[in-house]
Amino acid sequence: METIETTEQLTHFVRNQAQVRVRAGGTKPATSGNANVSLVNLSGVIEYESSEFTITVRAGTPLAEIENLLAEQRQYLPFDPPLARAGATIGGTVATGLSGSGRFRYGGVRDFLLGVRFVTGEGQLVQLGSKVVKNAAGFDFPKLMVGGLGRFGIMTELTLKVFPAPEATRTVVLENDNQSDALETMLQLAASQLDLTCLDLDDTNRIRARVAGSDSALLDRVARLQQFSNIANKVIEGEEELALWQAVGEFQWVPAGYRLVKVALAPEQIPPLISDLTPGALRICAGGHLGWIAWPQERPGEELDRVLAQHCCPGLAITGDWHSPLIGEHQGSAFARRLTLALDPESKFTNPQPVV
Amino acid sequence: MHEVSKTSIVSVCKLGSRTPRPSGLHTFEPPSHFWVDAVEIPAASASTPSDLSRLAPLVDQLRQRFPTDRLLTQPAQLAPYESDGLTAFRVHPGGVVLVQDASEVVTVVRLCHEHGVPFVARGSGTSLSGGSLPVAGGLVIALNRMNRVLDYQPRSQTIVVEPGVVNQQVSRHVAQDGLYYAPDPSSGPVCTIGGNVAFNSGGAHCLKYGMTANHVLGIKAVFPDGELVELGGRSHETAGADLAGMFVGSEGLFGIALEIVLRLLPLPERFHTVLAAYDSLEKAGDAVASVVASGLLPGAMEIMDKLAIEASEQAVHAGYPTGAAAALIVELEGPEEEVAAEIPRLDAIMQASGAYELRVAKSAADRMNIWKGRKGAFSAVGRLSPDYIVQDGVVPRSRLGEALAEVQRLSARYGLRVANVFHAGDGNLHPLILYDGRIEGQLHQAELLAGEILRMCIRLGGSITGEHGVGVEKLEFLPEMYGEAEMELMNRVRQTIDPQELANRGKLLLSASDVGKQSHAPHPLESAGVISRA
Amino acid sequence: MQHSIPSAELGPRGQAMADAVSSCVHCGFCLPACPTYQVLGEEMDSPRGRIFLMKDVLEDRLPLEQALPYVDRCLGCLGCEPACPSGVQYGDLITSFRAHSERKRSRTFFDRLMRQVVLQTLPYTARFRWAARLGKLASFTSPLLPHRLSNMLAMLPAQLPPSEQLPEVTPAIGPRRARVALLAGCAQQVLAPQINRAAIELLSRNGVEVVVPQAQGCCGALAAHTGADRLAMEAARKNLRAFPGDINAVVTTAAGCGSGMHEYPLWLKGTQEEAQAHALASMTKDVCVFLAELGPVGFAPLADPLRVAYHDACHLAHGQGVREQPRQLLQMIGNLELVEVPDREFCCGSAGTYNLEQPEVATELGERKAAAIVSTEAQAVATGNIGCMVQIENHLADAGRCLPVKHTIEWLADSCLDGHGSE
Ligand SMILES: Cc1cc2nc3c(=O)[nH]c(=O)nc-3n(C[C@H](O)[C@H](O)[C@H](O)COP(=O)(O)OP(=O)(O)OC[C@H]3O[C@@H](n4cnc5c(N)ncnc54)[C@H](O)[C@@H]3O)c2cc1C
Ligand code: SF4
Ligand code: SF4
Repeated sequence: METIETTEQLTHFVRNQAQVRVRAGGTKPATSGNANVSLVNLSGVIEYESSEFTITVRAGTPLAEIENLLAEQRQYLPFDPPLARAGATIGGTVATGLSGSGRFRYGGVRDFLLGVRFVTGEGQLVQLGSKVVKNAAGFDFPKLMVGGLGRFGIMTELTLKVFPAPEATRTVVLENDNQSDALETMLQLAASQLDLTCLDLDDTNRIRARVAGSDSALLDRVARLQQFSNIANKVIEGEEELALWQAVGEFQWVPAGYRLVKVALAPEQIPPLISDLTPGALRICAGGHLGWIAWPQERPGEELDRVLAQHCCPGLAITGDWHSPLIGEHQGSAFARRLTLALDPESKFTNPQPVV
Repeated sequence: MHEVSKTSIVSVCKLGSRTPRPSGLHTFEPPSHFWVDAVEIPAASASTPSDLSRLAPLVDQLRQRFPTDRLLTQPAQLAPYESDGLTAFRVHPGGVVLVQDASEVVTVVRLCHEHGVPFVARGSGTSLSGGSLPVAGGLVIALNRMNRVLDYQPRSQTIVVEPGVVNQQVSRHVAQDGLYYAPDPSSGPVCTIGGNVAFNSGGAHCLKYGMTANHVLGIKAVFPDGELVELGGRSHETAGADLAGMFVGSEGLFGIALEIVLRLLPLPERFHTVLAAYDSLEKAGDAVASVVASGLLPGAMEIMDKLAIEASEQAVHAGYPTGAAAALIVELEGPEEEVAAEIPRLDAIMQASGAYELRVAKSAADRMNIWKGRKGAFSAVGRLSPDYIVQDGVVPRSRLGEALAEVQRLSARYGLRVANVFHAGDGNLHPLILYDGRIEGQLHQAELLAGEILRMCIRLGGSITGEHGVGVEKLEFLPEMYGEAEMELMNRVRQTIDPQELANRGKLLLSASDVGKQSHAPHPLESAGVISRA
Repeated sequence: MQHSIPSAELGPRGQAMADAVSSCVHCGFCLPACPTYQVLGEEMDSPRGRIFLMKDVLEDRLPLEQALPYVDRCLGCLGCEPACPSGVQYGDLITSFRAHSERKRSRTFFDRLMRQVVLQTLPYTARFRWAARLGKLASFTSPLLPHRLSNMLAMLPAQLPPSEQLPEVTPAIGPRRARVALLAGCAQQVLAPQINRAAIELLSRNGVEVVVPQAQGCCGALAAHTGADRLAMEAARKNLRAFPGDINAVVTTAAGCGSGMHEYPLWLKGTQEEAQAHALASMTKDVCVFLAELGPVGFAPLADPLRVAYHDACHLAHGQGVREQPRQLLQMIGNLELVEVPDREFCCGSAGTYNLEQPEVATELGERKAAAIVSTEAQAVATGNIGCMVQIENHLADAGRCLPVKHTIEWLADSCLDGHGSE
């Protein structure tokens, strides 16, 4: 594997290779298997103007570095990118389109990426989108890069929108007796006016609801949340709360010997999907729109692929070995193919993988 | 929305709601037959005068499928379709088809493709950049009658609509469940979701919630060659490339959206709307900077200058501070307790900002009125001047003051009045350049001034459009914002999707054959005889 | 919007037309407010489209005949005016344009006949009464008649109330607080004489002396809105002479007549009477506005609770900007629960002679309005215009709901106390 240091090296590399497969932090091996180029050294913050609430960084910059820098100015990435501790980079996060529990309130990584600089399949360096928070000029290539797995271009630089960090947070853990109660409570909370930041449901029917905002209003809001569904609950704060969400963001719940898969869900798909998976395999995030599946190493990946396809769910394998990281049902292949034709006519980024 | 049915009349499968496939080994089969001929990117084929000769056989075909009252070809039927919200240009279309469902759109698009006739989709025709301007000799596909809600899932907070559904009708439809659709362009009571998707429309509340793209989850569309495609789905989350996101904002060049899945949000519990008056525009701008710096995240922050205040007040009587040099609207929203906690913080900032008058909306009706004044501002400026250009550019938020001062300087230099209404929190300027089209040369002056403003936005590191799109109006500025490689890439993408350039020809991207021969005035399409001045 | 309308060549109203076109910025804010656009869903049948068409005709770009079907389909409901942030005076444009085009257009024989029948009967109380009787006779043969005629007949009540002469002067009961002149109206006086009777009673109980000038005639709105500008000017002149000066207000009970009188300055633009027309127009008030300003003495509660839907007559709400006063007054009646009709700003489709000229659209709008009223579960309806009353009553009946539909003034008069506190 070649480690490149500059964009020039990267364009050169792309021009001279028949196949280009990228890795950076390596935290999502299912999406970066047989990589032949590493972007870890294409790292560093290019521009950060806190009063602008935007930040421009090189693709290989570790999330942790960005988050620390933002925190100094009391700002943050509201979409809560996972695997920061494990060493994930911003480029990998965008390319896989991964957002964490915090996506519930303000949206996912797609909603915070403003501009990208990337290398096309022909080794052209282009810069699209913009560095301002609002832009409607030209095609929205940044969106294409989100979750694109590098199939439409290799990102070198990204501009993101950031938000002011909340003054304070608390998490309320609500214990439910059974799964259907838990789902019902979650949906009610999702539609409520409580303005939660995170809303997760784990495999033990436990809901984790996070409240964030002004210090002085927080306790009242927590009290209201506790009253909302009148079920057994516990309030978590401070270090414990941080640790809890960190564990979630690092997928510490995934047992050894299991592979992690992300799935995009509509809440009504959850009950039938759960019944087709092994118990405890699915954890639910973002009010029922984002699922994480732990899939045993020994069971064939095709099986999960089939289950997800049956339920019309698009899935993305994160760790472990897979035939292709895109499993389940993915829409829009006709569009993707045409885009590939324009962006990567020789299919350097996709061969031999099928385009979906 | 006069006809609301909850079931799709389209037989093609709905987004993300497919009947489960029978189990069996799931393979990635190459899906489409037609792909084969599109592999070759044909040499540039641009607008040709022979479009007119192709129209007649197409119309003959259409006549067999559409009743006369839905296939418009008489001059008086076509005249009202000649312009959209940008009246400086008008083009006489070859025909207008009033479609009523998705399958009709597909039929028309396929026929257009077969006959090589360009087409333009039209929602409510409120585009301010000439997006729905027809192509001479081409077809207008009017989608406004396709205004049904196809599916609504309050528990999942999603709704599936046809493209002709009016923006505000979505919120109206879901209000009973305490939900709403966040993007709120000022034209919300009129413009359609299809138009919003094409332009990635924004609104006052984008500050917190983003633009249309951030609220579109899935799209079913027909490509300009008639192929159907589904993008995204019903989940608020995506897995795999965000293709629906890529479709949004493509200004109709990728074809016509037939069904759109939207994300809905719970209505905020409380709003706190403040209207502040300032004796200078700078003070209002500084106030915005202070609010942003404080870490508050208001739902909206809007500024209007003296001219805009005057016009809106005449139109709506919302109690705007007439005579003020600037008015700032700041709106906090959220749970009761949170807003209550934020109010004193906002108050302190506003007190310190030098506002000479502060008014807080006392009731929902009062708040509505303040917003009505703001949202009617563009049109209200029609009271001050017979003609004007609504400009739309973005600058980095920290350079707002600089940009406004420059706009004022330019206004003085050109001797044309400029009214300013803008999404201050986003750095999105809307200078309205007032001119009188009857005075020889004024339109040209106004366009030059508009151009200078756009170049300033580029210079300051911003964008030539925050929400109104490139359309016809900014065609020649896009290559100034992006480099050659970027333009070529966009053109290439367009070519793989629509090699004949049938969909919205003459918008966003110059025709392949026109690339390289742009000039600043007159408009490239004007010199080509494609469009004419009103 | 830029234009090249030769306003100077178009007579005294040329400027009004040019101004309306000029102030239109083509933003489309009027589209959702326009009933014909909502029903027909095409740009030609929208205010913005019609402005475009009229502009093109006036600029000589488009033959008049081509544009007429769409201009004719305009209800003249003025729903587009309050919706327009740019302040386009659409009413001035359409009325003037209709007058302008009437001189140029050719009509079929049947059209001309219909038009003459309408213009020569409706505005004249006696002729209308006579025609209506005949009409009812003819209705037995209505299946044989052209659709438009039978539609007209369907609107007539089964039995006409007896003819009624209004007293020339009705004194105030109790101390006199004001003196007003009442515009009696024409069709209304034949079809529903109880409305003016109620108005007079209500006013006098509130200490208002009411005079009914005998020399008055039709307000002229019907003629004006169908392009018969000479007839309209004649009507206006007649009323300018008929109404005395020593009154506090001219009171109207039909929305259409009230807004017609407010248009006198437009009709008489550029004539000697223009100033006088302004003066009369500024004195003219809908009876509810006058009463709300005066402050009513009081109302007795209804015997039983009743849900009443208030329907905004276009020529009150849009034409005269009167929306709140009738509601305020009705809400003063105990036990009367006022309910709002969804899409309340929408025309019911009655619109003067529209029912006769554009029956399909009129029927569609009538049905929608009836459905909207039914959705409120109202038990009765109040509105300020005779045309709306007939239209709504008919369409509610078609929808199987025979609800009482009464003029606001009837509701008020029925519960009115007098200056002495008695009913
Ligand atoms: C007074 C006023 C205020 C405005 N305020 C705002 C604002 O605050 N924010 C903002 O963003 N914009 C604003 N606009 C601009 C305009 O309203 C938006 O661009 C809107 O999205 C256009 O919608 P429409 O239905 O009128 O589309 P049209 O004007 O009919 O069409 C716009 C474009 O979309 C294409 N199109 C339409 N339907 C489809 C479809 N189904 N599939 C593919 N392409 C399609 C058309 O071909 C055309 O290129 C304003 C306009 C006016 C007149
Ligand atoms: S709202 Fe007014 S300015 Fe806008 S199109 Fe309609 S009439 Fe013209
Ligand atoms: S008057 Fe009524 S029908 Fe005529 S254009 Fe205006 S809103 Fe439409």
